[in-house]
Amino acid sequence: MLKKKVCLLGIYGVGKTSLVRSFVFSIFEETYLSTVGVKIDKKALDIQGQPLELVLWDIAGEDDRFSVPPSYLRGTAGYLLVVDGTRRATFEHAMDLQRRTEDQIGAVPFVTVLNKTDLADQWGIDRADLAELEQRKWRFVRTSAKLGTGVEEAFAELGRMLLARS
Amino acid sequence: MTKSPTDAAPDRAAGDPDPGGNREIEELRRLLLGSERKRLDHLAERLDNPELRTREISRILPEAIALRTAHDEKIAAALAPTVERSIEASIKKNRRVLVDALFPVMGPAIRKAVASALHSMVQAFDQTLQHSLSFRGLKWRLEAWRTGTPFGEVVLRHTLLYEVEQVFLIHRESSLLLQHVVSRNVKTRDPDLVSSMLSAIRDFVRDSFHLDKDESLDSLQFGSDRTIWVEQGPRALLAAVIRGTPPLELRTTIKETLDAVHLRFGEALEDFNGDPAAFEETRPDLEGCLQSRTKPKEQRSFPVFWIVMGLLVAAAAVSGFLSVRGHRRWAQYLGRVTDEPGILVTSTEKLSGIRHLHGLRDPLAADPAALLKEESLDPNTIAFHFEPFTSTHPRVVLKRIGIALEPPPTVRLDLEGDLLRISGSAPHAWIAKMRAVRKPVPGIERYSELELVDTDARAFDLLRRKVEESAVFFEFGSEDLRPGQEREIQRLSEDLSALVEAAKVLEKTVGFGLIGHADSLGTDQGNLAVSRARAQKVLSLLVQRGLEEGLFTAFGVGSSEPLREEKTSGDRDLNRRVTVRVND
Repeated sequence: MLKKKVCLLGIYGVGKTSLVRSFVFSIFEETYLSTVGVKIDKKALDIQGQPLELVLWDIAGEDDRFSVPPSYLRGTAGYLLVVDGTRRATFEHAMDLQRRTEDQIGAVPFVTVLNKTDLADQWGIDRADLAELEQRKWRFVRTSAKLGTGVEEAFAELGRMLLARS
Repeated sequence: MTKSPTDAAPDRAAGDPDPGGNREIEELRRLLLGSERKRLDHLAERLDNPELRTREISRILPEAIALRTAHDEKIAAALAPTVERSIEASIKKNRRVLVDALFPVMGPAIRKAVASALHSMVQAFDQTLQHSLSFRGLKWRLEAWRTGTPFGEVVLRHTLLYEVEQVFLIHRESSLLLQHVVSRNVKTRDPDLVSSMLSAIRDFVRDSFHLDKDESLDSLQFGSDRTIWVEQGPRALLAAVIRGTPPLELRTTIKETLDAVHLRFGEALEDFNGDPAAFEETRPDLEGCLQSRTKPKEQRSFPVFWIVMGLLVAAAAVSGFLSVRGHRRWAQYLGRVTDEPGILVTSTEKLSGIRHLHGLRDPLAADPAALLKEESLDPNTIAFHFEPFTSTHPRVVLKRIGIALEPPPTVRLDLEGDLLRISGSAPHAWIAKMRAVRKPVPGIERYSELELVDTDARAFDLLRRKVEESAVFFEFGSEDLRPGQEREIQRLSEDLSALVEAAKVLEKTVGFGLIGHADSLGTDQGNLAVSRARAQKVLSLLVQRGLEEGLFTAFGVGSSEPLREEKTSGDRDLNRRVTVRVND
């Protein structure tokens, strides 16, 4: 069984933790996020018959006080970048975060998750923003923590990218 | 012209080349090989010329070695002795070269070794100190003294209860779990998550406290008896969860296991891409770390030791008790002896186990030796040195006078100051003797007999009174007894005999006066005569009964001493009597 370290990144408040809560196997409390700054869960995938186990490092959301510790990123095979679709600022932050991450660990596969699709009327990201990035081979998956849509897809997409790599 | 080989041989054997034949062969060669000649010459030159050869080999040597090394270990093995010798040579030639080269590596290595050694020392010392002051520690000190082993070792022996419950082999870069072994019956949570979280925490600590890349948490303690030890290597970590107090050698074992894993699986570690299958074979190494040690079985000598100790303690206690009891008994005895009237203890001393008692003793005082038995003391251990003296202690004085006087049980002697009071009752004989025997006894100056009753005298007085109150009655006008008076006469004779005896005891003479009386009827003369006759009658009756006549004086007093005033005839009957007067 192949195991990969995968990180969950994003600015504070985009809903990373609640997004994945129902889809991952956890043994640790969410309080770890505010203390150690990371909570580690597991996600089992099956990519076209091949089993893959993701050890998911849910890193606490960045804010004024906290930014992703580089040591946590070490050895990451891939990551999910979470954005709150209703707040454009989180999208911009995500791009900055991605750049910093790439500086840190190199060009590692990642999937950008656009969360809160259920709030379509508050949607703040337009096609134009995404088009440019899609050009640069960014992958986007729309999700809704509330409705539970898109999460499995996001993980599957990342899993495929990881397997393709190794 | 050709020569057969056999012909040519002898010539060649002689060492003399045949110029002609050679030239022909040369020509043949030139024709056959032509252009290749040049090449062959060139090759020959190359093979023969060492300098050229060296340059050739130098060109291909690195690749050749790399190729071979990738194939197998033979080059390393082959080069090993050479490398050793070269190092030796280098050191011999110029030590500094190697020292300078190794210094950057040695420095931190030495520092680490020293730090580790100090840490072990401190840990051992700390353990020792901790156990020095507890009750268990004292027990272990005793054991150390008894078995002759150093205290620290005894401490270790007792605290060495530990079990390695789980071991994690973690990939350093990705924090992924490579291998996990568990000791029996231990419950574990998802090891992948636990190992990653442990790595995250170590990263967290490293970041928070600005530690070096190679430093971080290497020891965590939790619960009352659990520890996690983490050893970090260049590519992997080994984390061991231990219950109990692990010995320091275990840390070394873990370190060595990690080193072994790095050595054997170095490539796999470097190429690790998420598939832990390559590390299946680390299981035995990791399982080697699942050590545990239980308390050693109680030594057989244990009960014997405690029995002996118990006996010693008991013996000590008993001897202590006996000694205390002995002392107490002696003190008590001494007190008794001192208090004993007539004994004065002036000094005591103990010489070679024998107690010597010095003092004064009145011969009549209690025997100190007898008192010994009462206090259960061994007479053989005590020697008496008493000088005789005369004590004026009341008890002794009484004793002394008692011996002198020998009072009967009815007599009581009391000493009041210097006055001896004799009281109670005693026979006359004793009283007489007592008066005669009064010896001067120190302590008695005066005697008092006020309360001493002479029993014989009392008996005499009683009898006298009885006799003097008795009377014998007569018929009117004669000396004939009234009926029934014979009994009276009998009684009287017995009483009188008794009186005589009593008087003898009292050493006095006694006489009896028999006094006849008459009633008032008739003449004085007649009454006088009849009263006299009556007295005579009684006398003769008494003499008949054995009484000595000489004791008596019989006379009559007529009616001058009536018993009663005569109003009735009954009164007159009573007046016609004989009475007795006792004269002593």
